[in-house]
Amino acid sequence: MIAIDYIVEGFKEAIRLLVGFDKEIYDIIFLSLFVSSSATIIASILFIPVGIYLGIKEFKRKRVLSRILYTFMSIPSVVVGLLVAIILSRRGPLGRFDLMYTPKAMIIAQTLLVTPLILGLTYSLGKNRGKEIEKIGKTLGAGQKDIIILIIKELRIDLMVNVVTAFSRAISEVGAVMLVGGNIRYRTRVITTTISMMKSMGDYPMAIALGIVLLLISFIVNSLIYKYTGDD
Amino acid sequence: MKRFSTLLLTLILILALLVGCSQPAADTEPETGEEGTQEEAQNEAEETKGDDSQRLILATTTSTQDSGLLDHIVPMFEEETGIKVDVVAVGTGQALEMGRNGEADILLVHAKASEEEFVAEGHGLERRDVMYNDYILVGPKDDPAKLKENHPNDIVGAFTAIAENKAKFVSRGDDSGTHKKELSLWEKADITPEGDWYIEAGSGMGDVLAMANEELAYTLSDRATYLSMRDTLELEILVEGDEKLFNQYGIIPVNPEKNENINAEGAQKFMEWILSDEIQKVIGEFGVEEFGQPLFTPNAK
Amino acid sequence: MHIQIEGLKKYYSDKLILDIDKLEIEEGKITGLIGLNGSGKSTLMRIISGLDSDFTGTIKYNGQPLNGEVYKKMTLVTQKPYLFRSKVFDNIEYPLKVRKVDKGSRRKKVEEIMERFQIEDLKDKKGHLLSGGESQKVSLARALVFEPELLLLDEPTSNIDPESMNIMEREIIRFNKETKGTVLIVTHNLQQAKRLCDRIIQLDWGKVVYLDGVF
Repeated sequence: MIAIDYIVEGFKEAIRLLVGFDKEIYDIIFLSLFVSSSATIIASILFIPVGIYLGIKEFKRKRVLSRILYTFMSIPSVVVGLLVAIILSRRGPLGRFDLMYTPKAMIIAQTLLVTPLILGLTYSLGKNRGKEIEKIGKTLGAGQKDIIILIIKELRIDLMVNVVTAFSRAISEVGAVMLVGGNIRYRTRVITTTISMMKSMGDYPMAIALGIVLLLISFIVNSLIYKYTGDD
Repeated sequence: MKRFSTLLLTLILILALLVGCSQPAADTEPETGEEGTQEEAQNEAEETKGDDSQRLILATTTSTQDSGLLDHIVPMFEEETGIKVDVVAVGTGQALEMGRNGEADILLVHAKASEEEFVAEGHGLERRDVMYNDYILVGPKDDPAKLKENHPNDIVGAFTAIAENKAKFVSRGDDSGTHKKELSLWEKADITPEGDWYIEAGSGMGDVLAMANEELAYTLSDRATYLSMRDTLELEILVEGDEKLFNQYGIIPVNPEKNENINAEGAQKFMEWILSDEIQKVIGEFGVEEFGQPLFTPNAK
Repeated sequence: MHIQIEGLKKYYSDKLILDIDKLEIEEGKITGLIGLNGSGKSTLMRIISGLDSDFTGTIKYNGQPLNGEVYKKMTLVTQKPYLFRSKVFDNIEYPLKVRKVDKGSRRKKVEEIMERFQIEDLKDKKGHLLSGGESQKVSLARALVFEPELLLLDEPTSNIDPESMNIMEREIIRFNKETKGTVLIVTHNLQQAKRLCDRIIQLDWGKVVYLDGVF
């Protein structure tokens, strides 16, 4: 009974906040989107080519690399958060840049969090499907760089799905952004840290409202992807 | 060789799985634990009908739990009475909410006004003072707002100086007892804190102290948490001893008319026990060994 | 250009699947490669085109060992061609693009070859959505557009309609005659071998068992 009331209240609150264009909640949503998409884009631009390259390249210890990559794909976000916090804190090696408790620090942490995911997924895609494309590229006279670009173009739909997977991981994690962002109001508060805080404050309706927003974001992003895949 | 590498791979996979799973598991553990104990408590109550005194659910705040006091005294109660106490540590607001919903048998919290309202509304039987601890204002050694110099035991004066200097201040911002205390102090100083200098963390005390340490900011902390973290912080106590900083703990047995599962008998026993001279003395000595000073001052009447 | 193969051995795990003492592919000729399934024809094609470098022995291209520069002068068309997920025009343009041919000549060459292959109407279709016969024509056009020195064909006309096959055979011959390109073609179709080839090599269990200048 009580649980149902909470959910009903959560829905009402969500609609009230969203329809009422509550500035604080929209700032929180926007910061979530900004931090997680920046991290995903940075990791993708830097590591999709690397993942493809490692996937098609034959070298010793390739299997060892696979295992390491796949292990790091499931690295807990709090571990990444802790690592980045140690590095960025005032006494840490990069303390002088004064990045702790800023959105930049959150982007750094989430970039590190999704990099193994991007790298691992791209690597296995390159390994399983990239070689065939590499062969065609080779027979048509393409160089190493041309081939990597070609594979990225050919596998763009699968890569997009991987990028969305990484984005979903980033936007739904709470450990890393909480540790390096600090959940500071108007500065580093994102959807997940707000939910976690609201829960500990006993403010369930607001937490559920933001949970619904999070689900909605996932739904919209995934729908866009499936529309895109379906079109092609 | 091949077999060895297969074995290694399996091990790594299992490890990866464990690593991958351990986080969400750790996240949800306290929750399921709570629900579990509540359910268990109910089941047990049903099974043992009439013998409800076996298990007692005590809702309290995280800061009380973090001080270690309950871990120190609760086993004594369990041994003495044979009643098993499940301590559920949540925010003050949520602890009161648990009382309202009849999910706890007894509350040990520190938000006097809300507590009195709780009793007045008939959710609790009575409210008794147990003990108090105190808040302190901590900040960086160089003390930019000169609090130690000008307001060593005047918290309202110190808050005013912080706001006037726009010196960085980290607020708990989490609706906790400490947060409420801080807001009441701003109110007394007739200041609405806002602006870049006022950092609303929305986090627990430990996180906020770490943040103040990192940002070279002031913050209001309970003494126990500060003392337990003192070695890792470069923050110093700047303002203390003002009566306005005292934090009164109250104990409230939940009204047993809420539902039949409430362990009224056990709650009554626990309240009498914690207010007894013997236990009050134990409370007054707690912390001396570790920090060189007591964390709580007993004041049961 | 011509290819000289000496002491070529190729193993799959422990099985010897190619064992060629000495073999030459002569310049400016169309050479047919025949043999039963599993006789090593496709493996030989893959080795020459550089897709498989796990072998022993020497292969020389105009007296030079195989390397990146040499591979750029040849191409391979397979039985089940892979076309890119882009327009047919872009597919055919690709080898010119990676060779940094300027845009104007690229366009001209692609349009020319599409006309000769009678596939102008496919221009804007997506490569990976074509039928089997269409993709085989497009893939041969894509191979010929940059006028390679050596054209390696691995059953390029299997399972297609007679008209398309005529066009493809005509273009293979035109390539051989007009640009003096060398062709090595694997085929099961002896009639086709007769129509196209100047010489025939027969492989059996990885060994050359028949080598003839006149067919």
